[in-house]
Amino acid sequence: MLLSKTMSRFFSTTKAGFAAEKSLLASLRKKTGYTFSNCKKALDMHNNDVIKAEEWLKQQAQALGWSKATKLEGRQTTQGLIGVITNRNHGVLVEVNCETDFVARNKEFQKIVEETAITCLSFINQQPLQKPFIKVLLESEQIRNLHALDGKLLQDHLALMIGSIGENASFKRAACFKTAEDIKLIGYAHPSGNVVNNVSIGRLAGIVALKGYSKNIENLDLVGKGICQHIVGMNPKLIGTDADPAENKDEEVSLIHQEYLLDESLTIKELLSQNNVEVVGFKRFECGENVSTTTNQPLQYVETCQ
Amino acid sequence: MSSIIVARALAPAVHRSLKVLLLNATLKKCNNYSKIIQSGLPAYSQRRFYAEKKVFERTKPHCNVGTIGHVDHGKTTLTAAITKVLSDAKLAEAKKYQDIDNAPEEKARGITINVAHIEYQTENRHYGHTDCPGHADYIKNMITGAAQMDGAIMVVAATDGVMPQTREHLLLAKQIGVKHIVVFINKVDAADKEMVELVEMEIRELLTEMGFDGENIPIIAGSALCALEGKNPEIGQDAVLNLLKEVDAYIPTPERELDKPFLLPVEHTYSIPGRGTVVTGRLERGVVKKGAECEFVGYNKVIKSTVTGIEMFHQILEEAQAGDQLGALVRGIKRDDVKRGMVMAKPGTVKSYDNIETQVYILSKEEGGKSKPLTSFIQLQMFCRTWDCAVQVVVPDKEMVMPGEDSKLVLRMMRPMVLEKGQRFTLRDGSQTLGTGVVTKTLPMLSEDDRLSLTEGKKAREKKAQNEK
Repeated sequence: MLLSKTMSRFFSTTKAGFAAEKSLLASLRKKTGYTFSNCKKALDMHNNDVIKAEEWLKQQAQALGWSKATKLEGRQTTQGLIGVITNRNHGVLVEVNCETDFVARNKEFQKIVEETAITCLSFINQQPLQKPFIKVLLESEQIRNLHALDGKLLQDHLALMIGSIGENASFKRAACFKTAEDIKLIGYAHPSGNVVNNVSIGRLAGIVALKGYSKNIENLDLVGKGICQHIVGMNPKLIGTDADPAENKDEEVSLIHQEYLLDESLTIKELLSQNNVEVVGFKRFECGENVSTTTNQPLQYVETCQ
Repeated sequence: MSSIIVARALAPAVHRSLKVLLLNATLKKCNNYSKIIQSGLPAYSQRRFYAEKKVFERTKPHCNVGTIGHVDHGKTTLTAAITKVLSDAKLAEAKKYQDIDNAPEEKARGITINVAHIEYQTENRHYGHTDCPGHADYIKNMITGAAQMDGAIMVVAATDGVMPQTREHLLLAKQIGVKHIVVFINKVDAADKEMVELVEMEIRELLTEMGFDGENIPIIAGSALCALEGKNPEIGQDAVLNLLKEVDAYIPTPERELDKPFLLPVEHTYSIPGRGTVVTGRLERGVVKKGAECEFVGYNKVIKSTVTGIEMFHQILEEAQAGDQLGALVRGIKRDDVKRGMVMAKPGTVKSYDNIETQVYILSKEEGGKSKPLTSFIQLQMFCRTWDCAVQVVVPDKEMVMPGEDSKLVLRMMRPMVLEKGQRFTLRDGSQTLGTGVVTKTLPMLSEDDRLSLTEGKKAREKKAQNEK
């Protein structure tokens, strides 16, 4: 009561502001989800024509997103998510960052992660396979300029999202894999369970490339998922060679000499030989980890693992 | 005697002049002077250094509140405005925006959340005020006890309305058990009346949808910036005062430990010939009087008794209060009936559980934990109050818990012990602390079969799962 009184006193000078009809404003906001100020501006500009206002808002969304993104540029993004997607011979790991982990928990942000992963997957799909196993690392700028499936640039999608969330966000990196027919890629994200359109989303994720020598395909999937979870959990630095395992088991950094996370009585090496499988390569992303970035890496930069 | 008085009277003057000297001297000389002060001045003048710090007066009940909301909606400005408005009434020290805005180096240290812990008081209550920069940060600090909230102030800008992630902010409030939220619609100086009304409607809708009392939650509209700059008092200063009035009224004062029913975790038991059994420990909460009925609970036992005498420092006490380290003489109990780990409490107020749901923070390697993730069925030792017990860990929502992460864990204990919601505990593995947690829910007791399965190995579990198929 008191409030409305004080409010009306203050706003008595700004009568013009009442132009946009209340119910129109409410319905426009509800329908489009754009901020109140923008909805109001749209209505004012189009003489309260909701349909025209909505059209205008949609046209403006991209520009508004960009102006917001430019405004927020430079604010630190330390939180975020990793997305991982694999189909038999192609796999992608992407990291997208945001300012707070509240946003990382939001569906709109997760949608961007999913879009980025799928775009990168189609990118690697088009690359030639010169070797049995290729790995392409993409940096922020390169990801921004990829075309999403709907033809728009990924950076436009990101700007739209920034416009609606109101927090800065950025693409950090991506790792894309392509393998020959006999090598299978398997991904895992932690915490597990959050899957949108085949893209698993988590705070940590990994991809492992396996070559199976037995005919049992199902088994390969199961072993692969276990090994990938192990890689995400135990953070090995390299595949390792048969020679010299580390003396202290807890400090072991070679994958094959580590104790298997899901069954401590086995080492990874034993697990691999039991199942007749070879690890060709792997990659692990942790959200927010420091990566030394190489400058001006060409798009065609290809790093091989073997 | 008179010389002492003179010395006392002069001491502040000497102290002051030294201070001037100190200020003028270079840093190097500073060290020398401070040495002189230490050796040259008698002890009482040193005490004056401490006296300069204000003494906290506990005259009002205390309450912890926090701000939640989008990064750009003015949480920090509102906090600054609150201190400014209250400082006019001498109830707070005005803080500038820059003083509150969290320092990046604090975040880099990563030990506590990068909160600026601000204090202020209204006519009725004293407040501790925190900010919540992130979900994981806050949960970690809630678990370890570094930060807590009895109620929250949600800040929403009238220009933007509810943001997509506001839902996530409310989810956090829900998860940490905040039931009382007061909403501040900020930036009304840049909006108009009907926008404010619409934003209010939208907030009430969302709050109701998220399971809060959306209809009755107080919503105040104003402009923190105006309050801070001393402009437009109707939406500035008055709105902030209004907000504080609602916070005073709507967020209930938490119950003090002293007012709860008494509870004493037993540390030792002694048998005193001719008198009986004495249990010792620190009274965790409540007040215990001579002649009080009590109950010993723990290790599958419940024993009723009466406190026939209380002693502290070998002196008889009529009543002991929370925080006292005491010995209690209890009637009709043999020394062997009661042992360390049980609790002595007001009859009917505590219960034993062996199956609980908890929220646990697993220490990262840098914090002294392990580098290996935690998986289901691992066996750990749980330490709580004066007892410890082997527990089997079940990770419900995911496949593993990484170090440095918080997670919901179900703990199944080898034997029932006294526990309650909100109880803090530590998980250890051998000599290493792995994590710390808080009980969020007590679950139904384990059946005999469940209990037997706790000690089963992996092979036996797999065999059982095979048979069930």
